[in-house]
Amino acid sequence: MNYTRRHLWLGWWSLFGFLMLGLALELLHGFKAGLYLDVQNETRRLMWTLAHAHGALLGLVHIAFALSLPHLPSLDAPGRLRTSWCLIGASVLLPGGFFAGGLRVYGGDPGPGIVLAPIGATSLLIAVFLAARASGSAEVPRTPGNKRG
Amino acid sequence: MTARRGRRQESPRDPAAPTFAHRIRTDLPILLLLAAAAALGLTAVFSLDRPVAESQITNRPVELDGDGYVSSDTCQACHPTEYASWYGSFHRTMTQVATPETVRADFDDVRVEDTHGAPMLLSRDGNDFWAEFDDPGWEGAPEARPRITRQVVMITGSHHQNVYWYATGQNRALNVLPAAYLLEEQRWVPRSALVLHPPGQSLAMLNGHWNAICIACHTTQGKPAIDTPYRSEPFDSQTMDTTVAEFGISCESCHGPGQAHVEANRNPLRRYDMHVGLRQDGEPVGDPTIVMPTQLDPQRSSQVCGQCHSVWEFYDQAGERLANASGLPYRPGDELRDSRFVTQPSIDGTSSAMTALIEADPEFVRGSFWPDGMIRVSGREYNGLIDSPCFRQATHPDRTLSCFSCHDLHKGINDTRSVAEWADTHQVSTDGQGDQACLQCHESMADEVAAHTRHETDSTGSRCYNCHMPYTSYGLLKTMRSHTVSSPSATESVELGRPNACNLCHLDKTVAWTADSLEEWYDVPPPPLDDDDRTVAAGLLWMLRGDAGLRAITADAMGWGPAQDASGTSWMTPHLAEALGDQYEAVRFIAARSLRSLPGHASLSYDFMAPEAERADIAVRLIQAWRADARARQRRDPELLVDPEGLPRVGAMRRLFDQRDRRGLFLRE
Repeated sequence: MNYTRRHLWLGWWSLFGFLMLGLALELLHGFKAGLYLDVQNETRRLMWTLAHAHGALLGLVHIAFALSLPHLPSLDAPGRLRTSWCLIGASVLLPGGFFAGGLRVYGGDPGPGIVLAPIGATSLLIAVFLAARASGSAEVPRTPGNKRG
Repeated sequence: MTARRGRRQESPRDPAAPTFAHRIRTDLPILLLLAAAAALGLTAVFSLDRPVAESQITNRPVELDGDGYVSSDTCQACHPTEYASWYGSFHRTMTQVATPETVRADFDDVRVEDTHGAPMLLSRDGNDFWAEFDDPGWEGAPEARPRITRQVVMITGSHHQNVYWYATGQNRALNVLPAAYLLEEQRWVPRSALVLHPPGQSLAMLNGHWNAICIACHTTQGKPAIDTPYRSEPFDSQTMDTTVAEFGISCESCHGPGQAHVEANRNPLRRYDMHVGLRQDGEPVGDPTIVMPTQLDPQRSSQVCGQCHSVWEFYDQAGERLANASGLPYRPGDELRDSRFVTQPSIDGTSSAMTALIEADPEFVRGSFWPDGMIRVSGREYNGLIDSPCFRQATHPDRTLSCFSCHDLHKGINDTRSVAEWADTHQVSTDGQGDQACLQCHESMADEVAAHTRHETDSTGSRCYNCHMPYTSYGLLKTMRSHTVSSPSATESVELGRPNACNLCHLDKTVAWTADSLEEWYDVPPPPLDDDDRTVAAGLLWMLRGDAGLRAITADAMGWGPAQDASGTSWMTPHLAEALGDQYEAVRFIAARSLRSLPGHASLSYDFMAPEAERADIAVRLIQAWRADARARQRRDPELLVDPEGLPRVGAMRRLFDQRDRRGLFLRE
């Protein structure tokens, strides 16, 4: 599996998608759409703004991860797989949770979809932790032909 | 420890390393930028106006949390929609601290004439507002009344008037400025002119009045905290440590204290259980930690409004002392009458409590009610509601009239009006503004409007409100709809002196005309009528013979669009001009406003507080101009007291004027 290509692809398309969402939100502003701007939809506005911001930033994280991979030699194959899926999960669940949470709101409370957001946040934390841990060591992962000592 | 150990081994200096001077030169711009930013930040911090903490304020009542009250700011986070419409309502701004943001009157070295004694002088010092005036709270010899200068600290009202309160200097006690500010007219007016009360009779302006009386309904959970019963001791010897949970009528006035609700709902699982959960009957799960007035039965829900919008008294002094110390005991959802006596003469007219009230104040009933017990002053709509057959005789909660049948206390989601517009129209719901309010129960009327009303379906004569809730209540220099749903009758005008709905529109018709129409259309038996009831237009009879309250209502009706359409306006000028000289300031004010609504009089220059001669001069000129204009004298109806030339029959008018009800009237709005 070529993780670099995977995350570059995901990163750029994610960035594109969530920037499009940002544009859509600006249009809602421009046309003064009540479903977004009315005071009773204040929570929806917050949720969708958070979805846009988190999605776009996570796109950048994907790109950063792809570019970092050559410098994370200690991240072994299972580690890369775990980090990759955690990042993908975060990209779906975190902005997706915020967006779904804004579809139906209860006054100051977002809709039930918001429950996805903390799962996505946890997934992101795990991915960042795995990458951070690997970045602290220049050690090449052990392989059968590469014994310590 | 030796010197040797402490000595560093100096390494040879790297010739390529930057020198100290070089580093200073390189870093200096950054250091200067940082220093400038820090200086700017400090300047900003120290130049900000830091509000004085409420706990440090000693010259006026203060807001304090406690007793389970958490303030509307806390509600905002979870209920932004409801908060927004409440924030735009006049309930919120019923009581405000006087600040540059809340004061709408002119204080820039203003001189207000006609207050008792010498003119009042107003000024501003930074964010503080000051007034110099003759002490209205002085209870000694009038000639010894001192001149005082006091800080203005509080405001009552924000819709029609700003009434200003000054710090007396005695604890937190307030008293009212002798003049108030009319917002639409943008002018200061003596307080006595704003209330319909006998001319020449001074209006009581008592030290501590706000703390003892106004606090009950103009704040949330107010506690007067007066050490001895109000006015039982000389004012100077009483202490008033008055506090409130919140100034104005806030969320917790209607929903009850919110602390338990806030604490319970910190748990998100609980909240979502209520958001998405359904009871077995399919209805949303309610939250027992807070009161939702709209989910109470019609009696209890209306009592939430009735806690303020009613005439009430304490049952006894013990109840008053309890409220003084702990705030009023009523909480939304409670039975209102458990803790206070709602005085409704048509229900409790013979009760001992009512008898005691009347003994203490013989004018008590007349000042607030029509002779049959119908409320006649504004702000007491609950009294009207509980006297209505739609409330009293209803047998099912779904078909019982309540305040919420017509009013939305939070602007509805489907209500396309702005919050300001919704608030300005008394928070009446979109449906509540039209016939739909009544058709909720009287469905069958929808198909037979014209047959029922005997007016064209789309005319104002076919609007339910105009016949069943006419403008017979008075307050704030205008009239308001009666909140006692009733059917028009000539009897109420003849026997009670109350304008009937028919003649409030058809001002140019006689009461007999109304009696005949009601008999013909609805089999309402006509009352015994005198000659004047048969021959003189009701509008003229009421203006000439009526008491001040009736004259104010009639003068206001003459400025009401539907009445002008139904009755014509050309004949009104001399009678409204005559009213410009009325002894009651309120009648004069209303007459001038109605005159300005007549064709050709929009720019009428008239000051209802001007000297009598000046007012009379304007009235005479108006009447002369009317007499000289043949088009204005086009009406020849004899009931309008005009001769065949269209000129006034002065003798007949004088005769009716001599019969005027001149008993002093103080309407306790």
